[in-house]
Parts: sequence; C-alpha cells; structure tokens
Amino acid sequence: MRNILYILFLVASTVHSQQKMSTAEATVLKEKVKAQSALTKTITSDFVQYKHLDFLSNDIITKGYLVFKTPNLVKWSYVDPFVYSVIFKDENLYINDEGQKSDVNLSSSKLFKQLNKLIVNSVKGDMFDDKEFDITYFKTTTNSDVYFVPVNKKIAKYIKAFHIQFNEKGDVMEIKMIEPSDDYTRIVFSNRILNKTVSDAVFAH
Amino acid sequence: MRYLLISIFCCLISCASYTKKNNFTEVESVDEVVHNSYFSDTLKDYVYKAKIDVYNKSFGGIFIVKKIAERNHRVVFTTEMGSKIFDFSFEHDNFKVNYILEEMNKKMLLNILEKDFRVLVREHESILSKSVKENSTLLETKIVNKKYFYTFKDEKLNSISRVNMGKEKVRFIFSEIIDITAKNIQILHHNIKLTINLKSIN
Repeated sequence: MRNILYILFLVASTVHSQQKMSTAEATVLKEKVKAQSALTKTITSDFVQYKHLDFLSNDIITKGYLVFKTPNLVKWSYVDPFVYSVIFKDENLYINDEGQKSDVNLSSSKLFKQLNKLIVNSVKGDMFDDKEFDITYFKTTTNSDVYFVPVNKKIAKYIKAFHIQFNEKGDVMEIKMIEPSDDYTRIVFSNRILNKTVSDAVFAH
Repeated sequence: MRYLLISIFCCLISCASYTKKNNFTEVESVDEVVHNSYFSDTLKDYVYKAKIDVYNKSFGGIFIVKKIAERNHRVVFTTEMGSKIFDFSFEHDNFKVNYILEEMNKKMLLNILEKDFRVLVREHESILSKSVKENSTLLETKIVNKKYFYTFKDEKLNSISRVNMGKEKVRFIFSEIIDITAKNIQILHHNIKLTINLKSIN
C-alpha cells in the first residue's frame, strides 16, 4: 500500500512539474519573447544535438555552434564528431561538408521555404503565430515550455510538433523537433550570447 | 530455343570467368557459409557520416544501422540536422519502407537502395563456390537471385562484388577494420554514376 501511495505521489509530482499556463501568463511570456526577439540583433551559441530514434540504444550526439544575425541569417555549424556547416541565407542553403561546398536553392519549393523559415524563427523562439500553429503553454519551476503544432498539413507531414523551452528572460534554452513517427531531434543551447558584434564574413560561403 | 541455349552458354562462360579473370583457383568447399559481421552486434548502434555522389550532385547525411534481432536490421538515413530521409527494415528476405521523403519515393531509386543495403546487412549466406589466391579467398553466393563474390584477405572481409554476366556491377569496399567494425565503407556502382561513402562516427 505504501508503495502504491509512493508511486501515486511520484506521478502526481511529475504531472505538477509541468503545469498549463493561464491565458494571462501565456500573454506575458509571448510579449516577453517578442520584446526580447525585437531587441536581438545577433545570437551566438554552442549547442548539443540529440537525435533520438526509438530503436537505437543511445541518442546520436553531435555538437557545434550557431550564429544568427538579423534579419534572417543563420549559420549552423557542427564541429564534433564531424565538421559540417549550413548557412541559411535568402532563399539558399550554403553547405560546407568537410571542405566540400555546395548550395541548394529553395525558391522553387514553397514547402522547403516554409520549413526553412520555421528553423530560422525557432532559433529566436518567436513562432507565436496562431494561424500557423496550435500553441499550448506550460510552466515549470523556473522555465516555460511551449508546444507548437503545425496547422498546415503539408508541414505536419514533416514535423508533428516543435517544443521550445524558454528561460525566465524569454531566451530559447532548448528546441525539440518531433517527427510524425515520434522520433525527435533535441537541441540544447549553452553559452548563448546576445548582440555581440558578428561580421557578415561569418556567413560567406 | 536457340537463343536460350546461347544465353545459357554465355552465362556459363561469363560466370566462370569472374573467378578466373581475377586469377583465383577454385577449390572444394563443403557446406561453407559466408559471414559478414560488420553489422552483427545487437548492442551496438552503427552510425556513419555519409556522402552520396549521384550524377554530379553530392549530398551528405547520417547513415544509421541497427541489428534488431537475428536477420532483422533497421537502416535509416537522416540529414545532419536530424530530419529523416528514409527508414527501411530488412527482415529475412523482406524489405519494408517505414518512411521515405516524398521527393525520393521513386521505384528505381528504392530498388537500388534495397539491393545495396540488403547486402550490407546480410550476415550469413551459403556459398556456391570457393576459390583461393595467395592469402585471399573468394566466396561466391546468391542473395535474392543476385550473384555476389566476397573477397577475404587474411580472413577479413575486404570487398563484396555484385556480378552479372561475369562483369562487376557494384563493389562494396570495407576498410579500417577494427575488431568486427568497418570504419570506412564505400559502395561503388559501375553502370550508374552513384557512389556512397560511409565513415564511422561512433
């Protein structure tokens, strides 16, 4: 009996660790992130990426850094266990795969342009568009979790949901992109610095 | 009937010649089985950085193989950022597409990938013939009606060749072999411009 009570207590406390926000609380968070995003001219950050596939014994871990510059320049670089970078610039992806350079033009594919825009927006966390997502807000002890479920069926075929974790200042701490199969990619940011001078040369291909 | 006889005759000549062409001498083999242990550990996640060159286009990704159970493997390819491109299951002779990016869902491409990856993960197969040359052994086998020659050097599997009418069509090359893992794998197609390079990252 004591064990059952103990388990019930554990389950209850787990559920309580993530609570749904009230509408007022959600509005406060949204305004905070939007204000923060408007003030953000550049972001530099390290990240660790965990690729979770249900059948694997361990997540695949890759590490790198990210550079963002307004309006929509993003460089996503992996340094371990391989060297690879992709620059999101205008309607192109510029890839450097261990020194081998290539580029992909997305202008002919509306879908890939939309997916691209989502990745760029998720870096700042500013994805609060009710027309594009069903949005649910949760609070934890110190942070906020927001679940974005794409409304567009074509997008939903690729991404079932984005989960973004914000700290108390409204900065993005973690992004989780969940596939329709429930496998996911989780990206955890660290050493995130805002508004440091970033030269355009960083985004040269 | 005459064409049938001619083609059987051609086949006999050409099949025999792959072994001879490579200066191997056939020896007797009794109930032998060919082993490929490079994806044989159920406890291990096999993760490779992949580079695929196809008709002057080049793209990369992460290639993942997991042995789920005996004669049951999962083969997945994702982009570096983690988006799934394809997800296949090989169980005995069966092939199942769990997922493939719509843009890549082409029958011809699927056929090529199925054949290539089936060979990669196939662990045991009965042999049809055995030939030797110095410290190398050449074992002939058939996997789903296709003829393959496995080359072992100093008892390590060095390459697998898919052969049709005595000619090599595809070659799988295994290098940097540590214990039972091939750290580098190359799949070279001769009749189409397709090369797959796999480099172990775990």
